[in-house]
Amino acid sequence: MIKKQFQAAVNIIEKNCNADDFSIIIYRTDEQMIRYAQNKITQNMSGVKIVVNLSVAYGNKTGSATISSLDEKELIEMTETAQSIAKLNKEDPEFVKSAPRTLLPKTSNLSESTEKFTLNEIGNMIGEAVKNAEKKKIFVSGLVTKNLTDLFLKTKNGFEGYDRSSEFQHSMTLSDNKSKEAKVERSVKDVNDYLIEREIEQLNSRFDALTEPKKIEAGRYNVILRPQAVINFFSFLLNFFDRKNADYGVTAFHDSLGKNIFGKNFSLISNLDEKDLTASPFSGDGIPARNFDWIKNGVVKELYTDKSYAKKIGVKPNFIPNMIIRGGDATEEEMMKKVKNGLIINNFFYISPLSERKNEITGLTRDGIYYFENGKIKYSVNNLRFNEIIHRASKNILLLGKEYNISSYAKVPTMLIKDFTFTDTAAF
Amino acid sequence: MDYLSIALDCAQSLGAEYADIRIQKTKSELIYIEDMGLKHTNMSIIHGYGIRVLKNGSWGFAHSNTFTKHDVIKTVEQAMKVAEMSAKINNRKSFTLAYERGYIDTYSTKMEIDPFKVPLKEKVELMLEVNKTMLNYAKIRSVFFVLENVNDDKFFASSLGSRIHSNISHTYPRFEATAVNEKDSQPRMFDKGGNAAGWEYVLKMNLIDKAVQTAEEAIIKLEADEPGEIRRRDLILDPFNLGLTMHESVGHPTELDRVLGWEADYAGVSFATPEKLKNYRYGSDIVNFVGDNTLPYGLATAGYDDDGVPGQKWYIVKDGILNEYGTTRDTAPLIGENLSRGCSRATHYYDFPINRIPNLYLEPGKKPLSPQELISDTEDGIYIEGKRSFSIDQHRVNFQFSGDMFWEIKNGKIIRPLKDVLYKSNNPEFWNSCDAICDERYWKDYGVFGCGKGQPMQSSNMTHGASTSRFKNIRVGGSK
Repeated sequence: MIKKQFQAAVNIIEKNCNADDFSIIIYRTDEQMIRYAQNKITQNMSGVKIVVNLSVAYGNKTGSATISSLDEKELIEMTETAQSIAKLNKEDPEFVKSAPRTLLPKTSNLSESTEKFTLNEIGNMIGEAVKNAEKKKIFVSGLVTKNLTDLFLKTKNGFEGYDRSSEFQHSMTLSDNKSKEAKVERSVKDVNDYLIEREIEQLNSRFDALTEPKKIEAGRYNVILRPQAVINFFSFLLNFFDRKNADYGVTAFHDSLGKNIFGKNFSLISNLDEKDLTASPFSGDGIPARNFDWIKNGVVKELYTDKSYAKKIGVKPNFIPNMIIRGGDATEEEMMKKVKNGLIINNFFYISPLSERKNEITGLTRDGIYYFENGKIKYSVNNLRFNEIIHRASKNILLLGKEYNISSYAKVPTMLIKDFTFTDTAAF
Repeated sequence: MDYLSIALDCAQSLGAEYADIRIQKTKSELIYIEDMGLKHTNMSIIHGYGIRVLKNGSWGFAHSNTFTKHDVIKTVEQAMKVAEMSAKINNRKSFTLAYERGYIDTYSTKMEIDPFKVPLKEKVELMLEVNKTMLNYAKIRSVFFVLENVNDDKFFASSLGSRIHSNISHTYPRFEATAVNEKDSQPRMFDKGGNAAGWEYVLKMNLIDKAVQTAEEAIIKLEADEPGEIRRRDLILDPFNLGLTMHESVGHPTELDRVLGWEADYAGVSFATPEKLKNYRYGSDIVNFVGDNTLPYGLATAGYDDDGVPGQKWYIVKDGILNEYGTTRDTAPLIGENLSRGCSRATHYYDFPINRIPNLYLEPGKKPLSPQELISDTEDGIYIEGKRSFSIDQHRVNFQFSGDMFWEIKNGKIIRPLKDVLYKSNNPEFWNSCDAICDERYWKDYGVFGCGKGQPMQSSNMTHGASTSRFKNIRVGGSK
C-alpha cells in the first residue's frame, strides 16, 4: 500500500521531469514518541512524516528540492523547483551520474511484533517504569519511541530500491535528584527482544550499586567501558574516517590503508548477516550495502568514500550500513580481576572533537561511575573528563566482553582498557 | 477552509482544557560548496500542522501534512487519544498553564533584500570565489562554504482566542579553510553567526577579504606552537567565543524545563536550581545577562512563542546574581510564576514546542574600554577568537572550551599565535572571574544556528551577544 503510494508519487515526478538525470528518494516515518520525566509524561506525540527529495541534473549542472508531502500539485512544484535550480546553477566539476540498476542485498529490517505494538502497550511499559521509581521513592525519566520507516529510491539510470524497517527504543534514567543517577537504554528491531522487567532490573542494579561519590583526581586509569560508553566513544571515530580527508592529510588516517593503526584486538565491521540488526540495503545515493571490514585486527581496511571522491580516485564508493565492534568472551568479573584497580564507566556525555589530525576527542563520564579494586566494586566516584586519542585507546584494550545489541543497528562489547586518559574532574 | 477553527472547535467539543494549532511552512535553501565542487544546492519546503491539546491536565500532540477537514479532525482525535493515555499514567499529576490572553496580530522579519529572490548564480558565484580565494594558498588543502537561508511562515491559533501570523527569515553564511603540512592540519572558520535579516547581511560582510584573512590565519595556526601544559592565566575572549560559552554555561542551565528535570534522561539537568534564585552569585558584579526575544535581528525574535506568549526582555543574571529563568506556560507555574517568559518553541510543524534558550546576551561594560586597552592591561594571558571544540557536563557546571584563533599576551602585548588551546573552568568560577567587559562600541551579536535539544532532536536558532571580556586566572593550555 505504502510502496504503491510512493510509486504513484514517482510517476508524477517522472512525467513532469525533463532533466538529463534524476534521483528520487522518499522517506515515510510513522512514529509514536513519549517522553516522561520525574515520574510524569511531559510529551506524547504521534504522526506520519514524509520527506520527498528530487535531485536533477542538466549536463553537469545540478539542483535538488525537498517537500513533506505526496500531494500531486506539490510534487509538480518540487520538480519545477529542482529543475530551475539546476538550470540556473553553475557546473559541478565533481558531478556523478545517478546510480544504475543494481542487484541489492536481501535484508530483513522489519518486525511484525514492533509494527503491531500498541500505544496502550507502550503506556504499560512506562507505567512499570514509574511504578518502580515510586516504590523506591525516587524519580524516573525516559523516552519511548516506536518507528516504522519506509524508504524508496529511484533513479533515471534504473536504480530502484525499497526498504521497510522497524525500531523500538526505550531509555530510562533513575535518579534521587541529589547525587545518584543511573541509566539504561536500548533500541531493537523486534520489540519482543526488549523485556521491560529485565531492563528495570538492570537499571535498579546499576542504581543500587551507587554510593555517595568519593572524590578522585584526574589521571590515567584502567577502565571497563560498558556498551553504551563503547558505542559513544568509538562511533565518534566515524567522523574522522573519510577517505578524502585522510588523503588530504586533514585526519590521522593519511596513508593508513593496510596499516596497523589500531590495537590488534580491535575490529570494526559492517555485516548484513547479523539477523538481529537492521541494515539499510542501500544508501541515499544508491550505493548497495555490502559487508565490510573497516578495521580488522587493528589494520585499516576501508575508509568511508563518497561517490564523487570514489570516481576521482577510481575506487568503489561505500557507506556504513550498520556497525559491529567485535567482542570476546570475558565477563565483567574477569575484567575486574585482570587489573588491580580501575573504574567502570556506564556512559559518556557531550563528546566533542579536539583534533582531527590527532584523532583526539573529549567528553565526560555520566550515569554512574564505580571504582573497583581486587575484583570488586568498592564505591562510586565523581565524574571525570577525558581527552583521549581514539586509536591509542584501542591499542590499550586488554579484554573484550560478548557483543551486545546496544541499538537496532549496532553491536559492541564491554571493554577493559588500560591507562585511559582523564584530564579533569567534575564537581559531582 | 478555516482549518484553525475546525481544529480548535473539534478539540473543545472533545473536552480539551486547552488546544492550539500551528500551520507551519518552513522554506530552507542550503548551498554547500567544497573545494570548488557544488556538493549540495537544495530548496526544501516542510509544510503541515501540529495540534496540541491538554486533556485531564496532560499533553497530547499529533501532526499531519494532509489539509482536509477530515484529516484535521482525525489529527485532533489522535492528539486527544495520546493525551488521555498520558493522563492515565500521570494520575492526577497534571499540568497547570501560566496565565495568558489571546492575541490577534502579525509579525514579520524586517529585511531589505529577500535572499530567496537573489539569483542562485549570484550566490554560487560568490561562494565559488571565496573557495577559490582560499585555495590559492598552497598550504590550504581543503575549503568549504555553507549558506543557509530559512523562511518560516506560521499561523498559530489557540483556544484562548489567539490568531497570530508570523513570517520569519534567517540567513547564515560561514566558510572554513584547512591548512595542512606533513605534521599537522589546522582549520580556521569564518563564522559571524546567523541573523534575522535578508541578503544585505551577507553583502555587508566583505567575504573575499574575509576569505584571505581566514586562509592566512589557518596557515599561521599551522605553523604556531602549542600552548604547553595547562596553567592558570588570564583569558580574553571575543564576542564569538563568548557566544558559545554563554550558550552552554548560562543559556542551557537557566532553561526551566532542564531545571525541573525534564531533560534528565537526555541533555541533562541544571545546577541552577530554584532555591538559588535571587541569591546565587553566578558571576561578578559586572556580569548582567539579559533574555531578550525582542532583540532586533535576533534569531529567537518572532513576535510570539509557540505558546502564544509575546516576546519579552528580562534579566536572567542581574549584577552577578541569578535573577530569573527562561520559561514556558507549562513550566512557569511549577516555580510559582504566574506568567511565562515566552520561551516555548518548536522547529517544524511536527515538533512539540519545548523550553528554549531566548536571545541571551552579556550587557556591555559601563566604563569606556576597548579590546586593545584590555590587552595592554594584561600581563600573562591568551586572547581567543571564534569557537571550536566545546563540551560541558550534564549539570552544566564543569566545561572545557576551545576557540578558533589564539594569541599569547605578555606584558600587555600580543607576542605570538598559538594553536590547540583549551580552557577549563566551571560555574561559578568562570563568570565570577570576569573582571572587565569592553563597552558598547565593541558589542557584537552571534546568531546560533542549530542548537540541538529535545527528543526527537529539534534544531533551534537564537542570538547571543557580548563585548570582548577578560576572565582572570583561568586554567588554559593544551589537551593534556
